[in-house]
Order: sequence, then C-alpha cells, then structure tokens
Amino acid sequence: MSRAANALVWPAGPVPAGVPLIRLTAIHKWFGNLHVLKGIDLDLSPGHVLVVIGTSGSGKSTLLRCIDMLEEPTSGHVWFKGRDITDVRVNLNDVRTHMGIVFQAFNLFPHKTALGNITLALEKVLHMPRDQARERAMAELEHVGLGQKAHSHPGQLSGGQQQRVAIARALAMRPDLILFDEVTSALDPKLVAEVLAVMQRLASEGTTMVVVTHEMGFAREVGTHLVFMDEGVIVEQGEPKAVFDNPQDERTRRFLSSVL
Amino acid sequence: MNRIPAPHPIREIAALREKSRPLGVVSAAVGGLALAVVLGGITFVFAKYGIRREDRIAAALQSRELFTILVSGGLLGAGAAALGFGTYRRMPTRVSREEAIAGAVLGLQAAICGLALLWFIQGDMERFARNFLSFEQIVPQYGAFLNGARNTLVLAGAGEFFGVILGLVLSVFTISKRAAVRAPVRVYINLFRGTPLLLQLSLIYFGLALGLGVNMSAYTAAILAFSLNTGAYSAEVFRAGIQSIERSQMEAARGLGLGYMQSMRYVIVPQAVRRVIPPLMNEFVILIKDTSLIAFLGLSYAQRDLFTVGSQGYSQFFNATFYVASGLGYLVVTLPLIRLVTWVEKRLRSDLVGAGV
Repeated sequence: MSRAANALVWPAGPVPAGVPLIRLTAIHKWFGNLHVLKGIDLDLSPGHVLVVIGTSGSGKSTLLRCIDMLEEPTSGHVWFKGRDITDVRVNLNDVRTHMGIVFQAFNLFPHKTALGNITLALEKVLHMPRDQARERAMAELEHVGLGQKAHSHPGQLSGGQQQRVAIARALAMRPDLILFDEVTSALDPKLVAEVLAVMQRLASEGTTMVVVTHEMGFAREVGTHLVFMDEGVIVEQGEPKAVFDNPQDERTRRFLSSVL
Repeated sequence: MNRIPAPHPIREIAALREKSRPLGVVSAAVGGLALAVVLGGITFVFAKYGIRREDRIAAALQSRELFTILVSGGLLGAGAAALGFGTYRRMPTRVSREEAIAGAVLGLQAAICGLALLWFIQGDMERFARNFLSFEQIVPQYGAFLNGARNTLVLAGAGEFFGVILGLVLSVFTISKRAAVRAPVRVYINLFRGTPLLLQLSLIYFGLALGLGVNMSAYTAAILAFSLNTGAYSAEVFRAGIQSIERSQMEAARGLGLGYMQSMRYVIVPQAVRRVIPPLMNEFVILIKDTSLIAFLGLSYAQRDLFTVGSQGYSQFFNATFYVASGLGYLVVTLPLIRLVTWVEKRLRSDLVGAGV
C-alpha cells in the first residue's frame, strides 16, 4: 500500500547508540477541563523494564497510551527511536507495528480463535504468508504455555489464559517494546500468578517493557527502573529497590505504606 | 420480628392452603381440556364436512356438532376460569399457583373462542363461505399464485441484497468523525426514512419517465426503489451494530498496527454483522410485505406479485377468497422466516455469552 508521498519512512534496524528507544518530553494531556498529565519527561533504553506505579487516577494509563499514541498528547513530544511520532507525517500504523500493547480487559477479538487473534496482524500488517503466520502464532502460543488452546475462542478461555493470548498476540509482532496496561487488574489472584510468570520470563529474555501495575512484588523484583506518579506528575523515580526501601518524597512514602 | 408466639392460626391457614392444592391441577386440566375441545372440535367438524367446497364449509359452520362443541367447550372453559381465578390466591406453593393461573387463562381463552364463534355462526354462513372461503375458485389459479409468490420473493430478495450492501457502505460514512462526511449520508438516510416507500416508488417509476425520459420496467424501478429504501434503513441498523462493539476492540486492532479501514473490515464489522443479522432479517420480512406496493405501478401478467394476483383475482371474480389466499401465501413465506429470526437470535445470544469482551 503506498502511503502519502511525504510520509516519513520508518527507519529499520537497531536504534543508534545513545538514542533512547522512547523519549517523552514535556507531555501534557487534557481531557476537557481535566489536566491528567502535567509535564512528563522520561527516557527508556532498550532492554529495560520500566515500571509505573501510583494511585488510581494519577495518569499512569494515560501516559502509557500516549507512548503508542492511542491517546494523543495535548502538547509535548513522543520520540521513538530518535523520531518524533507526534509529527503528523508519521504513519502511526507503522509505529505501532514496532510497539505492542496489552490491555487490562484483554481485548481479544471474540469472533476469532486464539490462533486467529495472533495471525490477523501478522497477515494483514506484516503481510506474512498464511502458513508462516500460523507457524509463528503457534510458537508464540507455546511460548505462553497455550499451544493446546490454539483453536479455542476467547469465550472458552479463562481470564488468565485470555491475557496470555493477548501477550502472545503482542509478542508475535516482534515489537521493540511492549506496553502493559494494568494487565493483571481484572484477574483473580490465582490467575495473576500465571500472567506475571510469563511477564517475568519476557523480562529475563531482555524484552523492553513499560509496565503499569499495582503488583508491588513484581515492580520490585522485575523492574529495572521505577516511576511513581501522583496527580499527573512523576514524583519520584529510580532503581526499584532503592525507591521501595528508601522513598525520598512524602507522597511516595504514604503510597507505599498504603499498598505494602 | 418473630414476636408472635405459638402461631397456631398460621398452621391452620397452611393446612387449608394445602387442601386447595389439588384444585390447581384440576383447573389446569379442565382449562386445557376446554381449549382442546374447542380447537379440536372445530378441526374435527371441518375434517368431517370437508373444506374443498363452500357449501360444505357453510354446512359445517351451521352444523349441530359445531354448536354442541362450542357450547360445551365454552362452558368447560368458563368453569375452569372460575375455578382457577377463584383459588389461585390460596395455593400453598408457587407451582400450584401457576397451575391454577394456567388453567384459568386456558379456560378463558376457550370460553372467549367458543362464545365468539357461537355469536359469529348466527350470521349468514352461506354468504360468508361463498365470499371468503371459496377455495374451489382458487385451486385452478394456483399457478398464478405460485408465480406471484416467486415474483414477490425475487423483488424482496433483490431489494434486500442491494440494500444491505448499500447500507453497509453508508453506515461506515455515518460513523465518521468528520461532520462533512456524515452530513450527505445523513441527508440521504433521512430523506428515504422520512418519505413513504410508495412515494419513492412512484417518483422513480413515473417521475423519472415523465421528467427525464428515463424509461425502465416497473420491475426494475421497484427493485431500485426497494434497494435505495432498504439501504437507508439497513445503514441505521449497521450503524447501531458497529457502535455496539466496544471501543476497546478498535483500540486493540489499532494497537497491533492495523489501519482504521483494516480494523473495521477484519475486527469491527464481522462482529457487528453478527449482531445485526436478526434486525436485518426483520427488515427483510417487512420488505416482503412492502413489495405489494408495486401493484400501483401497473404490472404485466407475468410480473404480478402475490398481492396483485390476489387483488386482480378479486376484481375478476368478485370474490374475497383471492385476498385470503394471497394472505395465506404471504404467511407461508414470512412465518418460517420469523421463526428463523427467533432461532438465530437465540443462537447468537448463547454464542456471545462469556465472549470476554
């Protein structure tokens, strides 16, 4: 498909040294009169697991959705591999093939099987031949331990299984990073563990991830960088264990004592 | 709460209620019997006298047998109704109360049916049978009726087919974020929804011929009008279906890198279509009946639809049985469709349960 002539073609290959994978500069987001993000600056290098914690309504999810432009920042810039993707000439469909996102409510396509959920974008976006797409989808399902559920519809799967299919769907695109938007919040405790186990393995394999979560154990153990947000600003950030054991800001301390 | 000691009276009431329990079954049985007597009796009498000839039908309607059956069924029904309505309040359980109410309702239906028919057969039955149930005049015309039914189905089928395609395309415009894209389609939909189909049909057939010299056959004009009209209605059905799909489905699709049109085509529309199949089938049933408007265009013999066959038969033989037959013809087509809609609705509902969206 030929895009508009002046569209910026996405650079293939690895990120140049010294350029962060994601850079957010002065992100503000307004929903009507509601000022949700109040100037966020953030860098993320490849191979890192950025964990975002904070109270409900602190703007964590909005921030995450701004990274792949499902929400467009009211002002500020999102840089992906050194390119400003808030630029109107950027083809966001191309950008999004390089970023995966996993949602709180799974958002699987109910009319397609687990396999069909994964092959859709492989065939229609990456233009893979059908056999190759099915092969890769099967491999990803095996990867999250659901090879035997390939032909089940989402309605026939448990919440934990659905979420693992959703993760496999994102992984199959071989993205440069995956965004996780409170992916365990809709699951009961037993199912949370199976999803967290998959995410932990991804992290250990070197997948770049941004994880918005309420799972403090996961944040502490798996995260390589922790961000605490409150009322649309980043209050405190740093190495997770350091922030957990020795929070500097009063708001961080209050939040951590309420959830731990 | 429980400060009343030794609830003897309550126990007595409970015992009394227990006594009336069998009455529920009795009234249900009597009510059912009454309705069976009335409906079965009518069938029996017509089976005995035959319905091929109008004089036999008239004789059946005036026979002593039918009179006896209606009186006895009606009385039984009235008795069941009295028993059921009289006792349902003091039944001991919900099950027995439902039995009493069922008996009462069945009995009431039997009584009303019986009484209404009793009153009706006091009239001039020969005249009634001759004018409405003179099937021996219809039988030789069955070829014309079959042809009419075929034309009706072809008209409705073609109109629905093109209309649904048009509607699907239009619906995508109606959900655009851009007002300039929505507006013209809105105008189209509102024009066709806001004017009578008969007017649209006449404008396309007579209007275009007179005003622009566009001559087409009544058949073509009708299919065109039905398609344009159905397009407007089904656009609204599709729009509602598309908007009923959760926004998060679009986000998930876009998040994978699918474009807007791709997301619509592979994710949103397939789900929406499933949801709108029952209302679209209802539209089809409505269109089958609306094809009768083609009668106003003046049709050649071979082009006649079911209604026109009936109506021209009426003018020719001056007998309303042709209308009755044409009505039966519509029912033969629409009743199975209506059943099918119900069945599909049930299937789709059970499919979507726990779909996890």
